[in-house]
Amino acid sequence: MQSDSLPPAIRTDRLTKHYGAVRALEELTLDVPHGEIFGFLGPNGAGKSTMIRTLLGFLHPTSGSGQVLGLDIVADSVAIRRRTGYLPGGIALYDSLSGEAALDYLCDLQGAEPVRREELCQRLQMPVSVLRRKVRDYSRGMRQKIGIIQALQHDPELAILDEPTEGLDPLMQQAFYRLMEDLRRAGRTIFFSSHILSEVERICDRVAIIRAGHLMTLQDVDELLARRRRHIQLRWRGTAPDLTGVPGLADLKVEGDRISATLLGEVAPFVRAIASPALVDLTIEPARLEDAFMEYYADEEAAEAVRP
Amino acid sequence: MNVRLLLQTLRWNRVRLLVVLVAAFGWGLLIPIIYSQFADAFRELVDSGIIPRNLMNFGSGSLFTLPGAITLGLQHPLAIAFLGLFAIGSTTTSIAGERERGTLEVLLARPISRTSLYLTLAVAALILVALVLLALLGGQVVGIAVQGLTDELDLAAMPLVVVNGLLLWSAFAAFGLGASATFDRLAPALGLSLAYLLVNYFLEILGSLWTDVAWSQEYSLFHHFQPGEILQGNADPIDFLILGLAAAIPLVYALVVFPRRALAAPA
Repeated sequence: MQSDSLPPAIRTDRLTKHYGAVRALEELTLDVPHGEIFGFLGPNGAGKSTMIRTLLGFLHPTSGSGQVLGLDIVADSVAIRRRTGYLPGGIALYDSLSGEAALDYLCDLQGAEPVRREELCQRLQMPVSVLRRKVRDYSRGMRQKIGIIQALQHDPELAILDEPTEGLDPLMQQAFYRLMEDLRRAGRTIFFSSHILSEVERICDRVAIIRAGHLMTLQDVDELLARRRRHIQLRWRGTAPDLTGVPGLADLKVEGDRISATLLGEVAPFVRAIASPALVDLTIEPARLEDAFMEYYADEEAAEAVRP
Repeated sequence: MNVRLLLQTLRWNRVRLLVVLVAAFGWGLLIPIIYSQFADAFRELVDSGIIPRNLMNFGSGSLFTLPGAITLGLQHPLAIAFLGLFAIGSTTTSIAGERERGTLEVLLARPISRTSLYLTLAVAALILVALVLLALLGGQVVGIAVQGLTDELDLAAMPLVVVNGLLLWSAFAAFGLGASATFDRLAPALGLSLAYLLVNYFLEILGSLWTDVAWSQEYSLFHHFQPGEILQGNADPIDFLILGLAAAIPLVYALVVFPRRALAAPA
């Protein structure tokens, strides 16, 4: 994980990008330490790609500043790109080249050896026979795999991946998640944008939620999940217990022998309250990031609704 | 400049370059033959009044002198098509085309500055245009030798013709690249560059065929490409200066604008 002597892999300070009247990013401040898988979450149009493109020097910030690997995003963008791997959202490749030639070309321009290519091709099931076919004959999933390989083949210190699992089948998504975990173990940093909540929940250490260019929250995924409401259902034999005093319990409904509720915070007081031989069945649905995400959005919408 | 990118850009153009080089050489070869074999026949036609005399002065050329015929060959629509394919076609597709296809994203994710990318593409365009121009002029020189016409020309002035031609087509290539670096889509970049080429060509041809509007030639870059005059020892440094400026202005413009442009995500 993060070494104290190193600057954060990514640091932004009040980073702002406006396109005329459109405020794509608004005073976004965040740090991504080395060795972390960082999820950058938001719906389409929230500003995820704008943030990534600003970090890589495709866009110049309207105000604020940013550093990637300790280098300034405006003055040192070439040096930043030398040390990073980037997968653009909806990647386009050179159709007239074979997959192998495209990878060779891009690696050549990167000026680095493709030290991880063989491993990546193996793990993402891109055999030589497929690599030798023209990119124009590839399916969307195959193109996405080539995109992932081109971003990671030179084993960059930092990988910036814009919606990397788009177009991958569930099997390949799992292979990709394992790959990310291995890269984290190898000390690489992954900045990962997505609107698929389950994958962010599965592989990311921390997550930032962005909406309309504003940073809504930046938290550990575990912390975020701990703050979410769990859905609880239980069946009871005989008279239902009085659960009204259990801390964090809400939305309590009793229908015959069934009780449903939501629980926020610690589980232990609730478990103590229901510990009885009369308990027939218990289901605690784990908190999901999707709920957290929706809550943030619902809160913000409500706040907007009451704004004058 | 990025050598790897340069080599790949040239590699991507190799098939069409080969075809155009063969065609340009063949066209160049034909010009002295047409002059040698048919100039007298054309003269008779003109003298008889069937063909208006002005038609024989297409562009700044003439079929009745070898230097004039060489100019005619280089200002013929076929030569314009050969050279324009690379000066306009390749340059406009290079940045705006890649941007429209989305491949510019992947390219600029490499450690290449936009200035370096632009200069590499400019050098590639210059090489492609120079090769086509050399094929055209090479064909003409071989044709002149085959027809035994070498004593009608000062062939030692040929390098100056190459420089003059290269400056003209560099001006169009620089304009094409400048347009390519300005727009996010290929259509406006290509449209604007083609319009620039065609307006220049139209002004030159119109003035050469219609003496009342001969002044229009002065406003055409083609009018400052004068191989016939150069081969007769009448090179005008002003022509070189004007063409040099016409090449430099869009080049400098794009070098200033392109690195500062916001490259938003492709639609």
